[in-house]
Amino acid sequence: MSTSMNEKDQYKNRIELLQGTLDMLILQTLQWGPQHGYGIVQALRLRSGDVLQVETGSLYPALHRLERQRWVQSEWKQSESKQKARYYRITAKGKKQLASDLDRWQQIVEAIGLVMYVKPEESAS
Amino acid sequence: MKWFPSFGFQRRNRELKEEIDAHLQMAIADRVARGETEETARQAATREFGNIALVQDVTRQMWGGSWFEQLGRDVRYALRQLRKNPGFAITATAMLAVAICANSTVFSWIDGTMLRPIPGARDTGDLVSLQRGERNFSPTPPFSYLDYRDLREQNHTFTGILAYHHDWITLTGGAQPERVYIANVSANYFDVLGIKPMLGRFFLPEEETRPAIPNVVLSYSLWKTRYAADPAIVGKSIEIARHPVTVIGVAPEGVVGAMPGIREDLWVTLDPLGTDAWRLTHRSGGAVWLNVIGRLRLGVSRGQAAQDLDTVMRSIVAAYPDQHLGDNRITLDPMWRSPFGANGYMAATLPILLAFAAVVLLLTCANVATLSLVRFVSRRRELAIRQSLGANRIQLMRQMVLEGVVLSIVAGAVALALTTWTSKTFAWFFRASSSPTTLNGSMDHNVVIGIAVFSLLAGMLCGALPAWRSSHAPAVEVLKAESASISGGSRNRKLLSGLVVAQIALSLPLLLCSGLLLRTLRNLAGANPGFEQDHILTATVGLNIAGYSDGEVQLIRHKILDRVSALPGVKVASLTDWIPMTLGHKGEDAYPEEYVPHPHESLQVYHAEVAPRYFESLHIPILEGREFTPDDDEKAPRVLIVDQTAARRYWPGQNPLGKRLRLWGRLFTVVGVARNSTHMFVNESPEPMVYMSFFQEGYETILQVETEGNPVYLVPEVENAIHEIDTRLPVFDVRPMRESTQLASSFAVIQSALAGMFALIGLVLAVTGIYGVVAYRTQMRTHEIGLRVALGASRVDVLRLVLLQGLWLTGIGLALGLAFGLGLTRFIARLLYGIGANDPVTVVSVIMLLGTMSLVACYLPAHRAIRRNPVTAIREL
Repeated sequence: MSTSMNEKDQYKNRIELLQGTLDMLILQTLQWGPQHGYGIVQALRLRSGDVLQVETGSLYPALHRLERQRWVQSEWKQSESKQKARYYRITAKGKKQLASDLDRWQQIVEAIGLVMYVKPEESAS
Repeated sequence: MKWFPSFGFQRRNRELKEEIDAHLQMAIADRVARGETEETARQAATREFGNIALVQDVTRQMWGGSWFEQLGRDVRYALRQLRKNPGFAITATAMLAVAICANSTVFSWIDGTMLRPIPGARDTGDLVSLQRGERNFSPTPPFSYLDYRDLREQNHTFTGILAYHHDWITLTGGAQPERVYIANVSANYFDVLGIKPMLGRFFLPEEETRPAIPNVVLSYSLWKTRYAADPAIVGKSIEIARHPVTVIGVAPEGVVGAMPGIREDLWVTLDPLGTDAWRLTHRSGGAVWLNVIGRLRLGVSRGQAAQDLDTVMRSIVAAYPDQHLGDNRITLDPMWRSPFGANGYMAATLPILLAFAAVVLLLTCANVATLSLVRFVSRRRELAIRQSLGANRIQLMRQMVLEGVVLSIVAGAVALALTTWTSKTFAWFFRASSSPTTLNGSMDHNVVIGIAVFSLLAGMLCGALPAWRSSHAPAVEVLKAESASISGGSRNRKLLSGLVVAQIALSLPLLLCSGLLLRTLRNLAGANPGFEQDHILTATVGLNIAGYSDGEVQLIRHKILDRVSALPGVKVASLTDWIPMTLGHKGEDAYPEEYVPHPHESLQVYHAEVAPRYFESLHIPILEGREFTPDDDEKAPRVLIVDQTAARRYWPGQNPLGKRLRLWGRLFTVVGVARNSTHMFVNESPEPMVYMSFFQEGYETILQVETEGNPVYLVPEVENAIHEIDTRLPVFDVRPMRESTQLASSFAVIQSALAGMFALIGLVLAVTGIYGVVAYRTQMRTHEIGLRVALGASRVDVLRLVLLQGLWLTGIGLALGLAFGLGLTRFIARLLYGIGANDPVTVVSVIMLLGTMSLVACYLPAHRAIRRNPVTAIREL
């Protein structure tokens, strides 16, 4: 009983990622250089100031899906700590996708902004 | 377990594991660096990662890959789920296997009889059997040779028409005489059937009526058993009824002749010895002796062909009106329901049994679907997590459907193995009879395809319904849901209830039909056929087929009567050439003097040739006139005894004695009227019957003995007595009358036996179905029941609570099933005897049975619920 309560609290405290933004975030992370799954989780957490917490159950399916769509490539390499890991690298196709994702993201943010911060006189005109 | 070995998949799977492992290692390393101990770091990292197997599963689904790989993954997943729950897997598989086997068994019987009416023949779908006049079961051969030849030569719609007539004969010349079934056939017999000889040749057109030398074609099995598969048999001479004939060919293995269900052993042309010229040159009476089958031209429909033949027949009737009184219309039947041979009966029985089996399959699917639904409901949490991790609904549904499909494929495989055996059990239903029946199921590709279709259907039904239902549950709600509502929302409850109602509603018609059929069987067995059958022994003496001269035959017949009559324990001995209720009858067109038939009235009468004291031995009273006497022999004027039906039809309101009737062109005088008795079936509509004197017209010789005690005890004495006259006399089919007459109810036995079996399966399924659902629901409400009891509800209250829901479902199921059942029994009304299709006693007892069983099924979980300690019940969840 008690563990399930904790899990639920965890769920509540996290910002759920909007559908589709995870792809964009992963691609963006890979812009800064090839990275493995654990590294991507850490990077997203650090850069978001501990707000974004990617579930492994979402991350790995997403990575494998991106690879299938040829937006990323993967290879096995040794990490600095001599740990053999699978590194993902963004492809040219992936960069194009990222650009269009970003465009769309900005449009959505602007659109939402227009709705949320609408001023009375603007709505009248 | 390598169900779908694929190198790429294995490699990727390994890599995924390594990738996740690396993730965990790095997480642990970070935590250790931050100062945690190795052990707590490992635990924390693992907890943070979540359910590894689930993550792997969902990730794997992203690989896509070939359709086949995806399927492989899903099958593996389904197998894993089923292995987790072996009780469900085994129960469901066993139930499905039995249901599929029921269907495939009946289908294999249909396949072996109706779908393969003439083994070895080409394109039997183009073959039709020709019938002249009234349509009835096991008609007598309808055509004379001359009529047949005219039809064959003047039609425009057939590529060929064959004719045959078959009967017993004795093969002599070997160490042991052997009784075989011989067919006189038209020369084109094998051509029309599309059969090529295995050895030698078949008949030539010029051999049809009068071959230069008498010749014979052997069946494969006869060639193998009697002639030791002699490869040089062609050209050799064998002896048939003491006449030498030359073997010209051997038919291929499996070919048994043109009449469905009857095995012919050898074939000769229509008049091989030139002794039957009269039969080939007349158009009526004894010359009407041929069964006829035609092969339709390509693109010609049965209706067109029937019209064409009718035109030809009308011109024949116009040319020879005196030989064609009565009904001459021609009807064509496809071989699968040809009235000649077994298929007429099969077509009336087997499709109905297949429909019963289909209901059993539906019922089983509903049952398995119930079980699956309960399982899926308890797996809701897992399914919801998978869905929230990105598995889409289609994928989830596919996996769930696959579980059903995997079950039904395994069940299909089991059913296939079972059916190879059950298909051969059909022959059990056919006792030894006076005809060489060869009826059995067959296990060919049709049946295998049938099983595949049945199991696929079952899999879809079992898997799709619960899958569709479960996948509609919104993931977030399920995850939020507290355990108390895990019993599945009201929609699942409705589906479960629906399935239980369906099971009861489907099993009721099965029980109803089987009840009606079983009571029909009892009525048939208890019916009075109008003659004594309990102390009668019959024995066939192969006089006419063993090559004796006519004089010898008559002498031997008298000797047999004298000797057997003198045996101790014998009350009365007589002779006949026909045994009633053995699926056969002799028919003939009869022309009563001074009687004007209605247009198209059939003039056919049944006839039997019986010796003096026949009626006495069977206890059939002679109502008027006299029985035959030994003086009614060949030299005396021809005499007849008619039954009441014939007397009333031809001479209504008059005294039939002294009236005359023309048969085979000869006039017979009526000397007696016998009481009606059963001819073919207890439930037949009576046909006019005329008895002729055995010593005037008798052909086959069947000894009929009324015994003091059990007729079986007299078998050796009777056989000895006959053999004392001539040791070479072939004697066969020596058995009590009761045994022979059971043939008439063999189809009722098949119907009631199978319907009873299916109904029993249905009852078990329905009862376990309702038990399962009530038990499951009660278990889910343990907590609530515990609370109620703790708050002061009495045991009776709880009992009522649990029982009510079960009984409510039972009630709805019974009502629906009753409506369904009463609609269905109309279709078996034809098969019933002595009982109405809506017989209230049967209906009430079936409802009582099903209701009581359901009550017990509901009571058990209720009983368990009230015996639980409320405190533990509340704590449980």
